[in-house]
Amino acid sequence: MEARLKPRGSDRLWVLLFLIPSLFGVALGGVGSSAVSILLSFTDWNNVSPPHWVGLANYIASLKDSQFLEAVSTTLRFTIVYVPLCLVTALSAALLLNRRLPGQGFFRAAFFFPSLTSAVAVALVFSWIYAKDGGLLNRALGLVGIPPITWMGSKTIFWAVTIANVWGAVGEGMIVFLAALQAVPSLYYEAARIDGAGSLRRFFKITLPLISPAIFFQIVIYTVNALQAFEYIYMLARRQQGASEMTTAVYLIYRNGFRWFNMGLASTEAVLLALVIVIFMVLYFRAEKRFVYYE
Amino acid sequence: MKLRSSLIGLALALTLLASCAGGDRGKTITVLNWGSEAEAKVWSELAADFGAKTGIKVNIETAEWDVYWEKINTLYAANTPPEVFAMDAPLFLDWYSRDALLPLDPYIKKDQGLVNGLFPEALAAYKTDKGYFGLPRDFQTIVLFYNKAMFDQAKLPYPKDSWTWDDLRAAAKKLTLRDSAGKITQWGFSPDLWDIEPFMSSLVWSYGGDIISADHKKTLIGDKLEPWQLVWDMIHVDKSIPDQDTQTQYGNDMFRAGKAAMISIGHWSVPEYTDAGIDWAVAPMPKGPAGRATSVNSAGFVMAKNCKNPEAGWKWISFVLSEEGQTKLASLNFAVPARKSVAQSQAFLENPAKVDNKLFIDALAYAHLKPIFVGYDAWSTAFGDNLAAIYDPTKTAAGVVKAAVDAADRALAGSK
Amino acid sequence: MNKGNPSRRARLASALGSGATYILLLLGLIVFAGPFLWMLATSFKIPAEQFSKSLLPHPFTLVNYERLFTSARFLWLQVFNSFQVSILSTIGQILSCSMAAFVLSLYRFRGRALLFALILAGLVIPAQVTLIPNFILFSKLGLVGTKVPLWITSFLGGAFGTFLLRQYFSALPGELAEAARVDGASLPRIFFTIYLPMAKPALAGLAILTFTGSWNELTRPLIYLPSNQRLTTLTVGLSLYQAQYAGQWSFLMACAVVSVLPILLIFLVAQRRIIEGSAITGLK
Repeated sequence: MEARLKPRGSDRLWVLLFLIPSLFGVALGGVGSSAVSILLSFTDWNNVSPPHWVGLANYIASLKDSQFLEAVSTTLRFTIVYVPLCLVTALSAALLLNRRLPGQGFFRAAFFFPSLTSAVAVALVFSWIYAKDGGLLNRALGLVGIPPITWMGSKTIFWAVTIANVWGAVGEGMIVFLAALQAVPSLYYEAARIDGAGSLRRFFKITLPLISPAIFFQIVIYTVNALQAFEYIYMLARRQQGASEMTTAVYLIYRNGFRWFNMGLASTEAVLLALVIVIFMVLYFRAEKRFVYYE
Repeated sequence: MKLRSSLIGLALALTLLASCAGGDRGKTITVLNWGSEAEAKVWSELAADFGAKTGIKVNIETAEWDVYWEKINTLYAANTPPEVFAMDAPLFLDWYSRDALLPLDPYIKKDQGLVNGLFPEALAAYKTDKGYFGLPRDFQTIVLFYNKAMFDQAKLPYPKDSWTWDDLRAAAKKLTLRDSAGKITQWGFSPDLWDIEPFMSSLVWSYGGDIISADHKKTLIGDKLEPWQLVWDMIHVDKSIPDQDTQTQYGNDMFRAGKAAMISIGHWSVPEYTDAGIDWAVAPMPKGPAGRATSVNSAGFVMAKNCKNPEAGWKWISFVLSEEGQTKLASLNFAVPARKSVAQSQAFLENPAKVDNKLFIDALAYAHLKPIFVGYDAWSTAFGDNLAAIYDPTKTAAGVVKAAVDAADRALAGSK
Repeated sequence: MNKGNPSRRARLASALGSGATYILLLLGLIVFAGPFLWMLATSFKIPAEQFSKSLLPHPFTLVNYERLFTSARFLWLQVFNSFQVSILSTIGQILSCSMAAFVLSLYRFRGRALLFALILAGLVIPAQVTLIPNFILFSKLGLVGTKVPLWITSFLGGAFGTFLLRQYFSALPGELAEAARVDGASLPRIFFTIYLPMAKPALAGLAILTFTGSWNELTRPLIYLPSNQRLTTLTVGLSLYQAQYAGQWSFLMACAVVSVLPILLIFLVAQRRIIEGSAITGLK
């Protein structure tokens, strides 16, 4: 329906009442918070004594601070690996499940369940799986004669954390893709088969374009999640061997803001991170026009 | 006449005193400490004693070191800061500079005897140019702990006073055992290589090095390479120091887990190691080329600026620092009491648990103070995080230490 | 229908394809269910055996679970806290987002487009930008150290929920509202009795998303309740146990099992709804 009703009488009051929570939300959540964060980013504040203005000092310091730059680069590296990995795995799993074989429901539930559980629980289990001596991974490798690997070591911690993260995120994408795949009318496939198109051709010419809205949606979700990665790093990488190599942007913001109570600097970093996210979004929406096919 | 008026005067004085004491009765204060369950028990017992004596209820809260400081910050943010909270000396200046602490001089003036009997080394950490903003409650020196059963099994003599680092290295090698498949089941030495206090600072000092410049602008801990090469060799050549991954697997303290024969750490581990059933004993830190060195650090109590019951809070502090409080603390074998008379008493030195407390006190003779400066937390985090690369066999000791020192220097530059 | 060789070949190819699919599915099962089974197995081992070579517990013991009532006695409280916060958050989002979405899709009023745009802007704004300002606000209100900040913001609408529900409401017929109004029904009546029930699928999707998001959240509980074991949520509690009982893997795995169990039970009961709901969020 198009908005067609003009509020009459008591309607007007109700419209306002129904909107008040969201109005507050915009003030506190979106617009208001952004404004306060930006304001704070120009101050130096330690949560005990009143804040004092320092202008652009925080920004200049952050952009020169190698710790911050490293955190941003780690976050970007993580995103570049995490998003494609999640997409490919989720899509593959969805394709696999789309064949309508008996027992499909069971597999679908099993693949989806990990994404429902908390990152904290998953990370706890993975830290046990990655354990050098008794961990599941090294034990499995030991069966084929490979010596134990220090998974949480500085060389491998990036991959260890990423894999754990992907593992916990594949399920939700898979479900979205599955629904999208099942929404593709089988007419198209039959027509293509009659025309002699092979399965690969069918995939690229029919499937992908028709599920591209779902793919786009998931890319956005996965990207935003990746750029804000925190839980897995907190659970797996703090005080670990490779801790310095796995500090992501949000982890740094958390540490600066709530460990060392440098609220001004943390706000600056949050604003800068938000800028990075906005840039990604702009790029994505440009790409959407070109690549996503809406019926 | 005289007798009656003096009796009345006495009665008046008594009622006044009673009302003073009664004025605090029923009050509650919050005291925060970091520590393990064993340490929490210690404080609860003390709080019970204090409560019985003064009628002030103490709400003792303990949190793991990891989240302790966040918890304090949250309480400040909620405007309900605790009356008293435990302070680690190196971090004291950070908190002082945030204008978050209550000056203690006014209370100390009324209670002169309290401060005089404390170890001056411990006291010095809490003095600022505006007076005392904290007081030490105990101090820690670092010594070498060893597992007697493991030494017996390897038929090795126990660590001696005359030990040098080479002696330790040799013993650690012999105490690193493998099973039939070649996998290491027991390590010789498992020091903490993140915070400088348990091991690294003592090591560097014993080689004649220093930790940080006097103006706290330059990190000096990496200037001498020998001590770091020793550590690197023990990790990668001897394999007698386990890597971080293994340490995490066993809960970050392999000595307590019964998997390592030696560790250098402070008195705070005594209750834990006893609880874990380890047959342990202590020895002084081995000598380096420049002599013997160890680290001394103190934990103290500070009061939050806008707390509700500062008077009652001060009563707690003076109780903990009194002869009675310090004696009780000492009997729980938790740390070396900050009060000299208690630390040097028979009860402490010949305690029923047979801990060689004299060794911890004697260590003061060759102890250096753990560095205290604004920005310590950020500096030590930067250093520790980057030093973790020392466990990587493809990196050289020189390279790792240089990177860690550079990161630490950058952190120094960042703190104003 | 074709008969003869081509059909047989096709069936063979199809059977091989199915076989390969099953193998891959089985591999996937090992990957996705393996960690949970491993977690379960370890939780039944005695501490001395946690590093043992065998996969299965030898002997099988419940001692880690017994210990939950002593060493981790706050774990149950934390499960309750997580439930409380998640349910409140879900109710909050469902109410506030649907109310706003309904009004935005059905009624014409000045500033409608602007408000919707402002709400949508929240989609682009990442969570950490709101973290510190909200913390400041809540500390001024004296709510830091309580559970309130964790769910109360859910009652203030949300970009994603409002967007999702507005799309859904827009696809519903508007005549019903007109007719009801002619009959004298008030706006809330129209909303609660007619349109809200029609939006069940989208509401279910939003509910799932909100519930799991809140249940799994670590950042905000960590900031508002970093170490109060009685009040904090399961996520923070687990992270505290991870630090406190480091190295005691069989016990930690028992804790992890307890934290996963509630979600597993809900999932087993409401599987279909949950999966459908999650799918919807992607399709719109």
